[in-house]
Amino acid sequence: MIEMIIQSLPLAIFASVPLLLAVEGELVAERAGMINLGIEGMMLTAAMTAVFAAQISGSIIAGLFGGIAGALAVAAIFGFFSIRLKADQIVTGTAINLLALGLTGFVYREMQQSAIFVRSVPHVGAAAENAIAIVSWIVIPILLSLMLWMTAFGLRLRACGEYPRAVAASGPSVAMHRWAALVIEAVLVGAAGADLSLALSSGFAENMTSGRGFIALSIVIFGRWKTRGILLGTAVFGIAAALQYALQAMNQSLQFHLLLAIPYVVTLLILCGIAGKVRAPESLGRDA
Amino acid sequence: MMLTLAHISKTFGATRAIDDVSLDLDRGQVTGIVGENGAGKTTLMRIIAGEIAPDTGNVQLDGRAALVHQHFMLVSNFTVAENLALVDATDPSRLFRTHRTLERRAEAIIGRSGIDLRGVARRVDELSVGERSKLELIKAIASDPDILILDEPTSVLTPNESSELFRVIQRLAAAGTAVLFISHKLREVLEVAPRIVVMRAGRIVADTTSQGMSAEDLATAMVGEHQAIASIVGVQNDENRATAERRSPSAERRIHPLRCEHISGERLDDVTFDVPSGQVVAILGVAGNGQVELASMLRGLEAPRSGAVLLDGKPATRRQLLGSGAVGHIPEDRTRDGIVAQMSIAENIALTSRTPLRHARGFAQRLIELYSIRAQNASQPAGLLSGGNQQKVVLARELDRRPAVIVAAEPTRGLDIAATRFVHEQLRLAAAAGSGILLMTSDLDEAFALASVMYVIYRGHLSDPLTPRDAAMQVGPLMAGVA
Amino acid sequence: MRRLAVGIGAAALSLLLLALAGAAFGHSPRVLLEILVSGSIGSRFALEGTLLKSVPLLLTGLAVVIAFRAGVWNIGGEGQFIVGALAAYLTSRFGTTAALLAAAVAGALWASIASLLRVWRNAPEVLTTILLNFIAIHLLGYCVNGPLQEASGQYPQSDPVPQAAALPLLGGSSLHAGIVVALLVTLASWWLLYRTREGLRLRATGFNPSAAQYAGVDVNAQIARAMALSGAVAGLAGAIELLGVTHRLFERVAAGYGYAGIAVALLAQLHPIATIAAAAFFGALATGAGELQRSASISSSVATFGQAVVILVLILFGSMRAFAPGRDE
Repeated sequence: MIEMIIQSLPLAIFASVPLLLAVEGELVAERAGMINLGIEGMMLTAAMTAVFAAQISGSIIAGLFGGIAGALAVAAIFGFFSIRLKADQIVTGTAINLLALGLTGFVYREMQQSAIFVRSVPHVGAAAENAIAIVSWIVIPILLSLMLWMTAFGLRLRACGEYPRAVAASGPSVAMHRWAALVIEAVLVGAAGADLSLALSSGFAENMTSGRGFIALSIVIFGRWKTRGILLGTAVFGIAAALQYALQAMNQSLQFHLLLAIPYVVTLLILCGIAGKVRAPESLGRDA
Repeated sequence: MMLTLAHISKTFGATRAIDDVSLDLDRGQVTGIVGENGAGKTTLMRIIAGEIAPDTGNVQLDGRAALVHQHFMLVSNFTVAENLALVDATDPSRLFRTHRTLERRAEAIIGRSGIDLRGVARRVDELSVGERSKLELIKAIASDPDILILDEPTSVLTPNESSELFRVIQRLAAAGTAVLFISHKLREVLEVAPRIVVMRAGRIVADTTSQGMSAEDLATAMVGEHQAIASIVGVQNDENRATAERRSPSAERRIHPLRCEHISGERLDDVTFDVPSGQVVAILGVAGNGQVELASMLRGLEAPRSGAVLLDGKPATRRQLLGSGAVGHIPEDRTRDGIVAQMSIAENIALTSRTPLRHARGFAQRLIELYSIRAQNASQPAGLLSGGNQQKVVLARELDRRPAVIVAAEPTRGLDIAATRFVHEQLRLAAAAGSGILLMTSDLDEAFALASVMYVIYRGHLSDPLTPRDAAMQVGPLMAGVA
Repeated sequence: MRRLAVGIGAAALSLLLLALAGAAFGHSPRVLLEILVSGSIGSRFALEGTLLKSVPLLLTGLAVVIAFRAGVWNIGGEGQFIVGALAAYLTSRFGTTAALLAAAVAGALWASIASLLRVWRNAPEVLTTILLNFIAIHLLGYCVNGPLQEASGQYPQSDPVPQAAALPLLGGSSLHAGIVVALLVTLASWWLLYRTREGLRLRATGFNPSAAQYAGVDVNAQIARAMALSGAVAGLAGAIELLGVTHRLFERVAAGYGYAGIAVALLAQLHPIATIAAAAFFGALATGAGELQRSASISSSVATFGQAVVILVLILFGSMRAFAPGRDE
C-alpha cells in the first residue's frame, strides 16, 4: 500500500494542481467572510474560456488569461449579488453553479460549430508543467501566507471574515476588501480552470470540473482555514484520486469508489472537530 | 468652535430620530449627553462621527472624531495587538510585519494612551469585559481624535473601572480633546461633565452647566415636566413588601414555584435564590455579570454545570423547563428573542398558547384589545409594530396563560414612559394573581418600583436577599463588588 | 399576490434570457421558444414527458421547502435522493409500498447525519450535506459496479426492479402512480406547515430560532425533525424515479434533481402548493430543452441555465430576504 502511494505521488502532485489553486483561492475568500459555493461554476467557466482563448491565439499564456477573465466574470456576478445586494451567499453560489453548468454546456456546443474549433489546442510542455506545479505548491502558498498573516491588508481582510462591523467602524470598507478577496480568488480559480482544460486535458468537456469546486470547499475545512492545512488536505485528496488509477490498473477498480469516498468521510469528521477544535472565520457566509 | 451642528434632522422610516438639532462644541470641553432611550443620542453621535449622514442640516467639524460604540467593535478571534493594528493610522506601512512588531507597536500605543492594559498577545475573547472596554477606548484614543465620543461607556464597568475612565477623560480634555459622553447614569454625568445636554424625542431640550444641577432636575428635563418621576436612585418604599406579604399565603403553605439551588456555570458561581408565588424578586446588576447565562438556564437552553433548577420543589430537566410552559419568559433582547418579526401577531401568540390553531386569530384579537396593543389586526406581521407594542405582544403571550413563574429580563429597556408604566402594571397584576416573578434588571428604579426582595449579582455571585430598605443602602457597593 | 407576480415574472424572464442567448448564437428566438413550448406541452407525448420530469422535481423541491422553512440548509437533496433510490432497490422485492417506505426512511436517516452533526458538533449542514452527497454518489458508484451490478456484468448498472414493485401506470399513459403520491405529499406538507402547531414551530425556528427558543420551542429537536422530514421526501423522490421511470440503478440516477430542487423551492418562494407550479415549469423547461437538443442541436443544458436565471432574478426582486435561513442580523 505504502509503495502504491509513493508511486502515485508524482501523478497526485500534477493532477491536483487545479484543485490546489482553487483551494488557495477559496481560502482567501473564506478568510474574508465569503463562502463561494459557486467556485465549481467559476472553475468550469474558466476551463472553457481558457480553451477558447488558447485556440484563438494559439498561446498557452493567452489561455491562462482567458481562464482568469472567465473566472473574473463569474466573480463579478457573485460579488454583485452577495456583496452589493447582500443576497445570501449559499443561494447565490448555487445559482452560479447552475448558471455556469448551463451556460458552458450551451456555449460550448454552439462554438463547436464555429471556425475557431478548427484550430488545435496548444500543448503545455513538461517544463511548463513543472513550473506550474512549483508555483502552485510552493510559491503561492508562501505568498498567500505572507499576505494574509503579515500585511495590514491581510489583517483587515481577515477581520472582514471575523467581525466586519469592527472593520467598518474603524474606517476601511468591508465591501472593498471582500471584492479584493474575490478578485484574488478569481485569479487563482481562473488559473485552476485553465490548468484543468489546457494542461491536464487538451480541451473542454461538459461539466469537466466534476465536483472539484466542492472538493475545494471541503479541503478548506479540512485544512481548518490555514495554509499548511490546505496543502496537507489537497495532498490527501490528490493521493486518493491518484490511487484510483493505480487500483484501476491493477483491475481493482471496484474499491476505488469506496476509496474516493474516504476523504469526504475524513472531512466530515474534521468538521465535527474530531481532530481538535475547528475555528471557522466567525462571519463566514454572512453579509457585512 | 471645533464642531458646529446646524439644524440637523434625521428620519428612520416613520420615526424622526433627530429633529432640528443645533450644537456647538469647544476644544477641551467635556459634555454629557443624557436622555431616555430612543431620545436620539446615539443617532446624533453617529452623525457627528460621520457614520451616518443627516437628512438635512450641516455638520462642521474641525478635525476628526472617534466614536466608542456602546457595543464592542472588537474582533474576538484576534489578539489585542491585531485589533490595535486594525486602526493604527501611524503605522509606518512596512509591507510585512511579524507578530512581534505588531505587539511592540500595540504596547507603544497603549503606553501613549495612559491606560493600563497588559498582555497584548492575548486574544480578545480571553479578556474580561472591563479589559475589552479599555481596549475600545485605547483604539479610539490611538487615532488622536479631536472629538472623542463615548456611548454609555460605563454600563459594563465596575465603579473602580469607571473612575479610571473618568481620569482618562479629564486628562484628554486637559490636552485639548473635546469629549462627548453619553450616559443614563445621571450622577456620573454630573460628576464628569461641566456641560450637560439633555435630549428628548430627537430634540435638545436643555443645554446647561452642571453647576447647581441635581439628578432630579436632569430627570425632570429628560422625561418632561408632566411625567417627572419620583426619584432617580430613589428609595422607594417597603410598600411592595407589605402588600406582597398581605396577599401571600401563610409561611407553611407558601409555594415556591421557582427555586435555584447552588447553580454554577461558565459565568455563574453557586447561585441560590427563591421566587415565591405572588411576589416580585429582583436580581439587580450591571450587564455582563452572568444574567444572560442565568436567563438561558431558566429557559432550559443550557444546563447548569452543577446545582439544580426546581419547579414547584421538584428538580426540572432542561426539557421540562423548555417545554412545560410553567415558566413564562420576557427576554432581554426582544427583537432577537422576543418575537418572530416575519410572522403575524396571531402566530407569535399561538407559539406558546394552548388555544387550538383555528382559533388563534380570534384569541390574538382579544389579547390585542386586552393589552391595548396598537396594531391593525391580528394578521399584521409582528415586526411592523413599534418596540413598545412588540413588547406588549410578548407580555400578552406570556402573561395571559398565567404561568406559575415569569422570568422578566430588562422588560422595559428602550420603552417610553407610558409603555414602561404599562409593563410594570402588568407585572404587578400578574404577581397579584399569584405568579412568582423574577425580574432581572440593571435599572434600580425598576427594581425598587416592583420588587419585595432583591438580590444583587456581581461576577456571577448573588448577594444575600435584601429588603428594599436594606437594599437602598447596600445596592450601590454590592453592584460594584466592593461590599 | 406580489409573490405570485414575482414568481411568474422570474419564470418569464428566464425564458426571455434563454431566447436572447439563443439569438446571440444565431438561432431565431421565435423558433427556439416554439420548440421549447411544443417540446414540453405541445403534444400528449411531450406533456407526459414534462409531467414525468416534474414529479421528482416536485418532491426534491418540497424537501428543500421544508428544510429552508425550518432554517436548515439542506443542500443534500441529491445524496438523499440516491440513498432513497438505493434503499428502494434493495427492498423492491417486498413490494412497492415497502420500497417507498424504505426510501423515505433511508433519506431521513441520511439527512439526519447532517442534523445530528449540527446539533452535536455544531458542524454547518451546508457543508455536511454537500459532503454527504459525494459519499452517496461514491456509494452508489460502488454498488452498481460491484454488489448490485446487473447479472450480465456488462454495464455499471443494476438489474431492473421486479415488475411487481414498479409503480403502476395510469390509464394507458406513460405516467406512473408516483405523480399521485407526489401530489399527496405536497398537500400533506402544506397542511403540516400551515395548519399544525408543529408547522408553526418549524417556521418560527426558521425565521428566528432564538425567539422560537424563548417561546418554548426545542429548536434542536425541531431542526432534527425538519431535516429528517426533508430527507424523507427527497428519498421518496429517488424511489419514485427508480420504480416509475428508470427501473434500474446507475451512477447518474439522480441526474441533478437534488440541486434542481433548490431552484424549484426558491421559485415557489418556499410555499408547498406553489411548488407544484414551479416543478411543472422546470419540468417543462427540461423536457423542452431535450427537444431543442434533438431538433435544433442546442444543448439541453439551457434548462439548467434557466434554473439559475430564475434564482438570480428572484434575488434581484429581493424576495429571498424575508426567509433566507441562517440570517441573524
